[in-house]
Parts: sequence; C-alpha cells; structure tokens
Amino acid sequence: MAAPIYVESLIGSVKRLRLSPPKPSRIPHCSRRCLATQSPSSSLTSTPKDASVIPSQRRNATVVSSESPSLRSVRLPKSVQAAYLAPLRRPPTHGLPVCDLQLRSYSLRNLEVYADFAMRAAYYLGLPAKGPVPLPKRIERWTTIRGNFVHKKSQENFERVTYKRLVQIQDSDSHVVGLWLAYLRKNQYYGVGMKANLFQQSGLEMEDGPEADLEAETAKIEAALGQQLTMLESQLESPEEVEGRLVDEPFKAAWGAYGPMGGAGGATGAESRYQPVKVVESERGFAKRKEKSEGASESSS
Amino acid sequence: MAQFRAKKLDLGCFVNIMNIRDHTKRKVFEAHEPERQALRYTIRNTSLPQRTRAQAQLQLSQMHCYTRPTQIRNRCIMGGKGRGVFREFRMARYQFRLNALAGNIPGVKKASW
Repeated sequence: MAAPIYVESLIGSVKRLRLSPPKPSRIPHCSRRCLATQSPSSSLTSTPKDASVIPSQRRNATVVSSESPSLRSVRLPKSVQAAYLAPLRRPPTHGLPVCDLQLRSYSLRNLEVYADFAMRAAYYLGLPAKGPVPLPKRIERWTTIRGNFVHKKSQENFERVTYKRLVQIQDSDSHVVGLWLAYLRKNQYYGVGMKANLFQQSGLEMEDGPEADLEAETAKIEAALGQQLTMLESQLESPEEVEGRLVDEPFKAAWGAYGPMGGAGGATGAESRYQPVKVVESERGFAKRKEKSEGASESSS
Repeated sequence: MAQFRAKKLDLGCFVNIMNIRDHTKRKVFEAHEPERQALRYTIRNTSLPQRTRAQAQLQLSQMHCYTRPTQIRNRCIMGGKGRGVFREFRMARYQFRLNALAGNIPGVKKASW
C-alpha cells in the first residue's frame, strides 16, 4: 500500500533539518545519508532552515550548534516522537458507532494532514477511532466553448475533484465526542469541510413507572406542538378572511363579478338577473316524478 | 416594474437592467409565493365547490406577472448574460472559463484524462 502524502512531506522536512547553521559549501547528498542513519529524536533537536523562521529561532540554532554533542543524546518526549510516526489507535470494546466524521476537500494534502490530526486527537482523548477511510471521490466536469461567440468545435474541459475521508468513533461518551468535535473545529484547517453524524443509544426501560414518564413525554410533545401551531396560526389567515377575498367588495371585481356575463355561474345575485324555467307537471301520473324533481332541484339549488 | 423596483439598488453582482429586473422579480415572487400556493391549492382541490375553484382560477390569472416563478431566469453575475449560465458558479460559460483559468474558482482545474 502506498504511503500517504503527509509521510512524504515529513520525510522532506527531515531532509531539511540540520544541526549546524547553513554553510555554502555543504554537500546535500552526504547530509541526507547521515540523517537517515541517525535516530529521529537526535536529528530533530535543531530548528529547520525555513524562510519563515524568525530571527530569535535562528539565534537558538547557533546556541544549539555550540552545544550539539550533549543535545544529540537528549531524548524527545514520547508525544513529540509519536507525532513523527503513524497515529496510535485505541481498541474498541463493542464496535458500536458513536460519531461519523466526514472530511471533504478539493485537494488531498491538507485533507490527509487534517484527518491524521483528527485521529491523533481522538487517541489522546481516549476515543476508539476507525479511519481515515477513503470514500469514493466525486469528479464534476464541465465542457465550455473556448470563445465567447460561435466556434463550437473548439471546446475546453474543466473538472473539480472532491476527495473524502471518513473517521468513525466507536464506543465513546457523547460528551467526550462533542469535546473532540469542538477541538477539531477550533483547530480547523482551510479548504477542508466537515460533516458529523452523531449516534446515541438508550435503553427501552424507563427509569420511573411507565405512566409517569408517558405523561411527562406527552406534556412535552403538546407544549412543543402547541408552540408550532400558534406560530402557524398567527401566519395563516382565517377561513372567513380567505372567503372574503373572493366574495366581498371590492375584491369581486378582481375575478370578474361585474363582467359582461356576471362572473361565474352561481355568483351572488345571479337569481335576480336570470329566472329559471319552471315546468308545469300535470296531476295525472306525474305526481311521483314531480316530487322527485322538486326534491332534486331543491338539493341542486 | 416601477411599483416593485427598490428605491435603493440592492444588487451585489454585475449591475445590468436585466439583472435588476430579475432581482426585482425574485423579491416579488418571494413576497407573494404563499398567496400563489394557496390559490393553486384551491384550484386543484376537487373536494371544494366549483364556484370557489373558478374564482381562485380567475384571481390567480389576475396576479402580476412578476409574482410568477417561471419569469425568473438565472443570470450571469459577472456579465448579466441569460444563456449558458452554470448553476454551480452562477456565471456564463465564457466568464466561468476566464475565472477558472485565472484560478479564481476553488477546486476547478483543466481536465485531462
């Protein structure tokens, strides 16, 4: 399995470290071989030669070089040594997931470094962590015409790759997991997005009698629902108001009540403008049908 | 348009008469969306009387065209172009290409595979 990118960068930083201040006639390949044979703790006591090193650190470098023989044997603390090795993991007890932290970024370098940082923080907080699991990357592609006008045949492809890593915390207290997430957020790195799903397990039995808890739960639910309903009711209009918009003056004009045909059939005042034709039934044999038609006409009107 | 246009320009992107109009349409739609949805529901509810449904239909047709969601069009925020606009970047294709090549869009690079 290929080594992750952050290990390569750390190897590069080890190459840059040296015990004495920089000399112009230094041979690079000799020093690299020397550093490889030395133990990591002794080679890392000096400060790295970086453009970002502030003058006070450079002064420290000169001090170190003069006392280098005694400081070569100084052993770094275990936590500092562990920072240069792969992150330690705590063994899970039951394997039940408590938190799924997903890290997403457009670039791999800072994503892998941050995932590694999350793993180390989980170890020091005592959380059994699984990861970083690489989830499938998402590639979005767009093809655009190169010019701003015509020339459809010459186009250009662009893409955006989203890399994902998953860190899963198992068998931990939710408060500690919250602490870990807060720590990650406080030390968040640019270009890395985070999303966490938290899981909680609780027993089926209730602490006091079942009735007391149910009552308390129903009271809570009613209170919450009541709040929501009052909010909704304050926003909604009453049915009278809604109907008034359709029937009352001056809103009737909006839907054409005063139009040529007098609006839709059945509008107010329709009977005054139009008399329905009344059929006269003869008494002989049509008594039952008349009653039925009268009943039907009454129900329809 | 004059009745809905904001007294003070409240656009953050490229200022164009088309962008101003589209922005005004979006604000008016947002303000009248509940009323429109209520009328649409009234029209489509088959258990209501026919009279109410017809009235709602008429009232919906009388509403100003700026309240309709179909009038809204995604425009380029850099040039105001209405065609060839990518949703993820809110830019038209040429502006997207210029900014992508300049490195202004995070994560986007020239594809080669």
